[in-house]
Amino acid sequence: MIASSHSADNKVHEIAKLTNEVKELRSAFVDGRSKLMRLKKESYMEVVMKEKNIGISLNPPVKIRVKSSQE
Amino acid sequence: MATTEANILNRLYFVAGSMFVFALAVVFKLCTIQFIQGDEYRALAEKRSVENFDIEPNRGNVYSADGSLLATSIPKYDIRIDAVQAKDAVFNAHISGLADSLSAYKGKPASYYKNLIRKARSNKNRYFLLARNISYSDYIRVRNFPLLNKGAIGGGLIVEQTTRREHPMGEIAARSIGYERVDSNGDTARAGIDGAFGAKYLRGVKGKRLKQKIGNGQWKPIADYDQVEPQDGYDVYTTIDVNIQDIAHHSLLGQLEKYNAEHGCAVVMDVKTGEIRAIANLAKTSKGTYYEKRNYAVYESHEPGSTFKVMAMMAALEDKVIDTATVIDTKKGRKMFYGRPINDSGKGHGKISAAKTLELSSNIGLATIVDEHYSKKPKKFINHIKRWKLNDSLDIPIVGEGIPDIPEPGKSNWSKNALPSMAYGYNLTITPLQTLTFYNAIANNGEMIKPRFIRSVKSFDKNIEVFEKEVMVDEICSNKTLLEIKDILKNIVVRGTGKRMYSETFSMAGKTGTARTNYANYEEWKKKKEYISSFAGYFPAENPKYSCIVVIHKPIVEVGYYGADVAGPVFKRIAQKIYTDTPLIDAIETLNFNSNVVDEDFESYFENSRKYKQLMPSVVGMPAMDALALLENLEVKVKVKLRGSGTVKKQSVERHKKLKSNQTIVLEAL
Repeated sequence: MIASSHSADNKVHEIAKLTNEVKELRSAFVDGRSKLMRLKKESYMEVVMKEKNIGISLNPPVKIRVKSSQE
Repeated sequence: MATTEANILNRLYFVAGSMFVFALAVVFKLCTIQFIQGDEYRALAEKRSVENFDIEPNRGNVYSADGSLLATSIPKYDIRIDAVQAKDAVFNAHISGLADSLSAYKGKPASYYKNLIRKARSNKNRYFLLARNISYSDYIRVRNFPLLNKGAIGGGLIVEQTTRREHPMGEIAARSIGYERVDSNGDTARAGIDGAFGAKYLRGVKGKRLKQKIGNGQWKPIADYDQVEPQDGYDVYTTIDVNIQDIAHHSLLGQLEKYNAEHGCAVVMDVKTGEIRAIANLAKTSKGTYYEKRNYAVYESHEPGSTFKVMAMMAALEDKVIDTATVIDTKKGRKMFYGRPINDSGKGHGKISAAKTLELSSNIGLATIVDEHYSKKPKKFINHIKRWKLNDSLDIPIVGEGIPDIPEPGKSNWSKNALPSMAYGYNLTITPLQTLTFYNAIANNGEMIKPRFIRSVKSFDKNIEVFEKEVMVDEICSNKTLLEIKDILKNIVVRGTGKRMYSETFSMAGKTGTARTNYANYEEWKKKKEYISSFAGYFPAENPKYSCIVVIHKPIVEVGYYGADVAGPVFKRIAQKIYTDTPLIDAIETLNFNSNVVDEDFESYFENSRKYKQLMPSVVGMPAMDALALLENLEVKVKVKLRGSGTVKKQSVERHKKLKSNQTIVLEAL
C-alpha cells in the first residue's frame, strides 16, 4: 500500500516534468516556426536579395505543358 | 474496614462500571464526530489536502489557408532572481559574468546590470526581475548565464511560466487575426478572428480533477480518471493567404509612409468564393511608425467618394434611363444644384458620354444623371442600394462591424441636395468591405457573395465544420449592365483616372476615389485639406480572380492625394504579385519531332564514333561540343584543347593519323 502510493507519487512528479518538457518543446517549435516564416516572407527576401542586385521578376514564369505524348 | 469478599466485589463493580461509562462516553464521542460533526470535519480535511483542479484545455490554433500558423498559445517565461539566495563567494565570483551576459543579451552596458543586481542584493530583494515575457529559446539562453546556471538553490534563479497567445507572423494581419482577452472585471475584449470564434471553437472546455497534496508542492490525482475531461479547442483555418497578405501589408505600409498618411487598409477577396485572402489595416503612431491599430476595413463606415459612382451609374443603366452613349453636359467644372455648387477637378469636361463621366470621374456628370432621372422618385434610386444590401451591415462574425448610413426621404439626413451628392459618394457612409463586396459581385458576373474569413474548423485532421460560400444577391443587375460597367471599369485603368496605374503586361479594372473628409467647415478645410484616397476593383480585367480595395486616409496633400497615385500603387503591386506568381502555361502538342537534318547529323556522328577508335577523325565543320565528345570517347586517351567556341575550323592533328596516348589535340573553333 505504502510502496504503491510512493510509486504513484513518483509518477506524478515524472508527469509534471514531462508536461513541462512538452511545453518547452512546443515553445521551441513555435519559436522556430515563426523565425522561418519571417525569413521566407517575400518582403524580407526582397530586402536581402537587393544586396545581390536580384529583384522580383516582373513577368511570371512560363510552364511548358505537352498536350499528348506519342509512344 | 475488613477486606471482605463483598467489599472487593463492590469495588470491582464500581471500577468496571466506571470503565463501562467511560467506554460509552468514548463511543458516544466517536459517534458524534463520525455522524453529527462528521461532514464538517470531512470537509475540513478535504480542504486541506484535496482540491478540485481545473484542467485548462489547449486553445485551438488559427491557421492560414496554406497551413501557416497565424495564432497559437505558447509558454512564455519571466526570469527573476532571488538576489539574497546565493552565498557571498558564489555571488561575487559570478556577478560580473552575469552582468556581461545580460549586457550582451539586452544591450545596456554590463556595469548597469551589475549595479542593479548588487543594489537588489543589499535591499534584500528576493524577487528581482531580469527579463519578462521571453521565448523558450531565449529562456534556455538566460538559464545558462553565470550564477543563474546554479539553479534556484545555488544561484537564486526564479522562472515563472505563463501561456500567451502568439502571432508567429508578427505584425502582419495582427488585427484581423485578433485575440480574446479577459480583463480584471471579467469583461472580454474580442478582436478579429481569434475573438470572433473564441467562445464557439477555439477555447475548448475546462476539465476537472480531484487531487491530493503530496510533497514538493505537487498534487496527486486521487482517482485514475478526470472528474470532467477537458476538451481542447478546435483549430480554425482562415482564408488568409500569407504571401498575398505579406505583399498587401508591405505595399500598404510603403504608400502610407510615402504619403505620411493617417491610416489605411487593403483587402483582397477571392472573386468566386468570397474568401478574404488578405486584410491589412495600418495606422500611424505618435512617433510616425505604423501598426495594426483597428480593423478599418471592417469597422470604419465613411463617405466612399468616387468609388460609389459605379453604384449610381449601374442604377441608371439598369433602369435604362440612360445608356453609355447618352450625352451629359458637365459644363466647365462647376454646376449649381439647388443653390449649391458641385465641382469637377480641373477645368471641366464639357459635353461627354455617360460612360466617359465615369471614366473621368466627373462629379457633375454623375450628379446630373442621378438628379435628372431620380429627383422626382428618389425611392427608386434608394431601392437599388437596398437591393444590393449596401444599407445594412454585412453581418460578418468579426465584432465591431461598421453600420452604413444611407439617407432616404423622411430621414433627418435627407434634403434635395442629398440625392445629387449620393451620386458621387457623399452624404452616405459605407465600409470598405461593403464596397469591396459590391465590386466583387461585378467581377463575379453579378453574383454577390458575402466576404468570408474562415474556411473550416478542425480538430486535428477531422473537419468539425466547413464553411461554404454564402450568396447575398443572386444577380445584382442585368447582363447588359454588367458588360457595360465592366467595360467602363477596364477603360478607367486604360485611359481614365487610373491610367497612371496601367500596365502592359497584366490587366486590371477598377475605380479611383478621391474624397474630401472633415469638410463640414469648408473654410477650415480649405486651410488644411484632408482627403480619403481609394481604389476598388478587380484583376485580371477579362476573367477576374481577385477583387481588391485600398483606402488611404489623409495623405499629405503636397505629395499627392489622388486615388490613382496614393491607393492605386498598392492595388497594382498586389495585382502584379498575383500575376507574377501564376505561371503562364504554354501548351505544345508533342515533344517527338522528326527532322531529317537532325537524323542525318546523328547518323554521321554515330558512324564516325564507331569507325574511329585509334585514328584521328575529321572534326572540321562539326560543332565543338560534338567534336569534344567524339575525341574524348576514343579508345586512345587524348587531351583536347579548344580555342574559341562554335563550329570547329581547324584541327592540329591530320585526319586518319594514328593517335598516341596522352597526345594533345588543339581545336580551333569560331
